[in-house]
Amino acid sequence: MYELKTLLPQFDIKLPNCMYELKNVSLAANTVANKANAAVTTSGVSRRRKYGNNIFKTKSATCALDLDILGRQIQQLLKEDDSAAAVAQRQAKVLQQLEELKAQMTKIRSNLGLCGKTVQHTTAYQNGGLREEPLHDIVINGHPNFIPYALLALKNAWRNLFTIDVKTFTHSTMADIGPAAREFEANLAKLPINESKPKINVTLIWKNCEHTEMISSPTMYVPIYGEVNIIRYLGRVGPAEYRYESSPLCNEIDAVLDICYQLLRCATHKSQVAMVRLLDRRLQQQQYFGGAEMSVADIGVYSSLIRMPAITDKDLTPALLAWRKRARLITQI
Amino acid sequence: MVEDKENVAVVGQEQVSKKAAKKQAKAAKKAEQKAETATTVAADGSAGDNAVDTAVGLYGVSELIQSKDKRTERNFVDVHELSNHVGKGLVWVRGRVHTSRAKGKQCFLVLRQQSSTVQCILAVGDVVSKQMVKFAGNIPRESIIDIQAKPVSVPNKIESCTEQLLELCIEQIFVISQAKAQLPLQIEDAARPENPDDVESLNIRVNQDTRLDNRVLDLRTPANQAIFRLEAGVCRLFRDILTEKGFTEIHTPKIISAASEGGANVFTVSYFKDSAYLAQSPQLYKQMAIAADFDKVFTVGAVFRAEDSNTHRHLTEFVGLDLEMAFKYHYHEVLHTIGNTFTAIFKGLRDKYSREIEAVGQQYRVEPFKFLEPPLILQFSEGVAMLREAGVETGDEEDLSTPNEKLLGRLVKAKYDTDFYILDKFPLAIRPFYTMPDPNNPIYSNSYDMFMRGEEILSGAQRIHDPEYLIERAKHHGIDISKIAAYIESFRYGCPPHAGGGIGMERVVMLYLGLDNIRKTSMFPRDPKRLTP
Repeated sequence: MYELKTLLPQFDIKLPNCMYELKNVSLAANTVANKANAAVTTSGVSRRRKYGNNIFKTKSATCALDLDILGRQIQQLLKEDDSAAAVAQRQAKVLQQLEELKAQMTKIRSNLGLCGKTVQHTTAYQNGGLREEPLHDIVINGHPNFIPYALLALKNAWRNLFTIDVKTFTHSTMADIGPAAREFEANLAKLPINESKPKINVTLIWKNCEHTEMISSPTMYVPIYGEVNIIRYLGRVGPAEYRYESSPLCNEIDAVLDICYQLLRCATHKSQVAMVRLLDRRLQQQQYFGGAEMSVADIGVYSSLIRMPAITDKDLTPALLAWRKRARLITQI
Repeated sequence: MVEDKENVAVVGQEQVSKKAAKKQAKAAKKAEQKAETATTVAADGSAGDNAVDTAVGLYGVSELIQSKDKRTERNFVDVHELSNHVGKGLVWVRGRVHTSRAKGKQCFLVLRQQSSTVQCILAVGDVVSKQMVKFAGNIPRESIIDIQAKPVSVPNKIESCTEQLLELCIEQIFVISQAKAQLPLQIEDAARPENPDDVESLNIRVNQDTRLDNRVLDLRTPANQAIFRLEAGVCRLFRDILTEKGFTEIHTPKIISAASEGGANVFTVSYFKDSAYLAQSPQLYKQMAIAADFDKVFTVGAVFRAEDSNTHRHLTEFVGLDLEMAFKYHYHEVLHTIGNTFTAIFKGLRDKYSREIEAVGQQYRVEPFKFLEPPLILQFSEGVAMLREAGVETGDEEDLSTPNEKLLGRLVKAKYDTDFYILDKFPLAIRPFYTMPDPNNPIYSNSYDMFMRGEEILSGAQRIHDPEYLIERAKHHGIDISKIAAYIESFRYGCPPHAGGGIGMERVVMLYLGLDNIRKTSMFPRDPKRLTP
């Protein structure tokens, strides 16, 4: 037989002195460690190996988390008054240092002439932690035959919460935008801009295009098609009261908006009425779609119904008519 | 003098070497032979003519028109109006021979009148003789002819002509002005559509210099006809729209005593015992007209720039369309006026010059010009933000470099789908000393640029109308006050607040049509390398 040489040379590992030595926490380990303490050398490596074994042993012996054992461990720790006192001392020192740092910071801040308020973290607390880019302005391309009334409805509904600053333009592909679009423009301009509220700039361009489309950034040219989807988008960036993603009504609102989307694509009166009936079933006897509060779903339905002149009051149910009256007070169209 | 010349000639002859003499002799022999064959051919031809020419007097080269007869009996019709005369008997038409092709007893001839073309046919028959057909087939291209013909409708569309539904049966044909048989460029080549994608199409082009050297021929192509008619339209719309807005047209001197802008890049001309400069801009005179209570003025005239830049968008002489306007309280009054003027010009071109735009589009494939009404106005800082969003690093007070300018144009196009936009509130540091600073933010100024297809076409600002403040700003820029004393002096007798700007007509037309070179929109362009024709 050959004698095998060890590949690694034997050497002592010197632990850096900036590390704390961890006390073994588990009871079983403690007892074992106590026993072992007498015999074992002070080499860190061997001790660590031993701890590992001990933990393994305790795991096999008892359940991983036993409240009784845990309680006993805490008691044990507290009894060892010297170490607990050391930790408490260290904590006090750290707290004091933090206090000093804070004092320094306020001094610097006052020297720079900044306000003493702390920074407000307003973004994204409702959005599942997703970082939310502040949207400064978006472009909406619309055809004068398919006026996005939702924009006006939202603007009016949000008048006390959020400012939608709409500027309208006519693209060179449109020779004339017609009286309806002009009236819409005038109505948009009626509501004054409230600079104190959070604001989104909307550039509405009358254009000879097939869909109502929204462009948020020229570098990421991903247009959002359809008025309903623009409502959804605005619902995300608008006031908190109208953000529906985390609300329990989320699915209901989406379903209603989907019906609006289909309604706008219905070619025959018969299919339109069928969609209206679907809406009625969703509304039932509620104040608004999905409950007692106005939501973006109501905006969507309201705007879609305006865009469908073929749907007269005759086609609407009493519940829908009553809803329409309520909604008109808020949307003011 | 004459004797001198003869002497020189004699000396020259003596110097001819033996070899050359031999060569000369050979050439002479050849020429002799050629002449001989020519005379025989001519004799044959004349013999044929004499034999059976039934159409004498119905064709030929017309005598030089010296306004001898009025010939009011000849009823001339324009080619594009021929469709109203089908089946109504004979008409007279004057035009150019675009192409002519005689074969056997027939001759097909395409007659061109400006941008319109019509097919004509001569066939040997009762009126037309064989000799007449031959004569018609031999008329050089581009010659001007008068024809008397009968418009008849054709069963199949004639794809190669603009008048596709009719042709002319010629009964009389006279050459009014004959063109040289050899043309420096073929109109067909010069008018051939540019489509680089199509590999199979004939790829004969006429290069830009050949075109410019023979501009008279080049200008006869349909695209060029359209370009310059549209250019006239730009000028007319500019005048009409501004006149309607209450502007007065003024004319400013082009020979000036001192350089108006900066001082570099001016042409010097001798002025009797002294020297003078050619005006770089009518700005000073526009402002003086404002100070003289004309309230709103514009001017159309030549502007000279002695910049040695050989680019696609610089000329040393171009037509400037300048305007200046007094306002009440805010320079945006002027900004909106200029912006709306542009929109009105674009709308006028779109509505009244669609035929011309289409004709240009057939040769140069470009996207139609898009714009918004009212014009899109962005702040300079917004533009910078858009560039930064696209990953371009640019400073707040930095001027837009040409690539950044183009990129911003593309970004704006992608977002707003407009080829025209206005950038407002430029940094003060990059504007001339007479620009009024922004009262709210010292780094910006009340100045603006306008862009078409991502290229700057207008640069304007609110001017400082207070002499003391003007001196202060000039000192800040390190400008010698004594040199601009006259300019400052013109504000000493009270001057309303005013703003304005100027555009280059050629550049606007080039960018409106989406052409790649400003020489295409200047009839006889002047650049550092070209002074003729």
